[in-house]
Amino acid sequence: MGPEVVLSHLHRADGSATYTHNGYCVIGSVNGPIEVLRKDEQPEEATVEVNVRPAAGVGSPKERHLETLLHNTLRSIILTRSIPRTLVQITLQIRSLPEEDSVLGVNTSLTLLPHLLNTSLLALLSASIPLSTILTSVLIAIPSSKNAIPLLSPTAKDLLRAKPLRSLHVFAFSGDRKLLLNESYGSFGYEEWDDACEMAEEVCCKEGGVELSEGMEVEGQQGNLEEWLRQVVKRKVEREQRWRTAD
Amino acid sequence: MSVSATIILPGDEIPSSTLPQPTNKKKPLTLGPGLRHIPPDTIVTTVAGALATDTKKNAVWVEYNSGRYLPSAGDLVIATVNNSAAENFNCILTPNTPPATLPHLAFEGATRKTRPQLYPNSLVYARIFNAGKESSPELTCVDPSTGKSDGLGPLKGGTVFQISLGMARRLLAGRKGGVIVLEGLSEKVGFEVAIGRNGMLWVDGGNIKTTLVIGKAVQEVDEQALGEKGQKKVVERVLRGL
Repeated sequence: MGPEVVLSHLHRADGSATYTHNGYCVIGSVNGPIEVLRKDEQPEEATVEVNVRPAAGVGSPKERHLETLLHNTLRSIILTRSIPRTLVQITLQIRSLPEEDSVLGVNTSLTLLPHLLNTSLLALLSASIPLSTILTSVLIAIPSSKNAIPLLSPTAKDLLRAKPLRSLHVFAFSGDRKLLLNESYGSFGYEEWDDACEMAEEVCCKEGGVELSEGMEVEGQQGNLEEWLRQVVKRKVEREQRWRTAD
Repeated sequence: MSVSATIILPGDEIPSSTLPQPTNKKKPLTLGPGLRHIPPDTIVTTVAGALATDTKKNAVWVEYNSGRYLPSAGDLVIATVNNSAAENFNCILTPNTPPATLPHLAFEGATRKTRPQLYPNSLVYARIFNAGKESSPELTCVDPSTGKSDGLGPLKGGTVFQISLGMARRLLAGRKGGVIVLEGLSEKVGFEVAIGRNGMLWVDGGNIKTTLVIGKAVQEVDEQALGEKGQKKVVERVLRGL
């Protein structure tokens, strides 16, 4: 089952999305292109600003770290040169975390990162900011027991059950199957990493540009993230164009 | 306007088979919003939406109704005057964007002595003269070739209503847009409207009640995406209330 999404529901923001998956709920909003502060102005590019707000309390170094990762990844997919001297402001408010999140004992910024990346992409799509490509992201966990299969986009409960974990990996892929971001934590060998990367690519990207057949959907119960994104956009277009068919 | 329901995501390549097949071979292909051309002959989308093509104009664009208004030359907009500088008014098209300039002399029959006096927060119906990413947009209220205003100029009285960008496009598209609520209302009540592509609708109905009722009716049609039957119902209800 893919993540649940509500698009363009905040009426004061240029674009917004609420994303709910595996107990994580994030609200993303995008304003842009808007006027940029003089000191942040870049003559030939747009400035991208990312704000991550935690579910409780004020931001800490953990949020700053996430902001840096998001900023660098998103700047590479936004066509910043087509909107120079402007600001694209992305605000991500974490609404709820799964209960088990605090007792996992693993790097919690990694379990959160794919959800933040997916939310920010949805909000950018909703704000119609020019993008060079799309982005899909997934978490992969490798348990430390021998011959254990890597867990694909596990829930917090799955992680708790699979403890102790050897390593956690976050991968983000662009629409043309390029690796945009990789954050790994724990101990792992190159082969393990390669397997995880391949696994993530399969989930994030559509199979070789060919339309997904019905058989494949049954095979991978997780569903394909690009396919899911297309469904989300299809619903958005249907909503925008419903006046054509309304009587 | 033929709208194929091809759903596209940013980064999708448009295959040449979906491009319009022009009847006139000499006409160059026109790319509308949401598309970019990567030489030599790749066309890539930059926003998510539905692909739309027009064979007669040999044009292709992405249809979407979300996000902020981006000025483009030739658009009719409702601008709010922010302040007056030495030779131009600084006008706001959308909140939090750099101001657009409207020269003092860009009004019908304006000279140095008879230029209009516009105060902050007054409204102007204007055309975007040029808009590029290199400079702030420039507005004008006259047709440069004839020197006539063609209905552009300061808007006096009335109120502004926010509508979606898609609704503004539909209202300006005439019959193709499928909006009949204004025609329906105009059979019984008299009012003036101006539609800005920046998602603004200005209405002056002569009195406050008529103005509000007409503005709200258009907003309702916009939000609920009403078809012709639904719009007729709105018109009936509004006219009964007046």
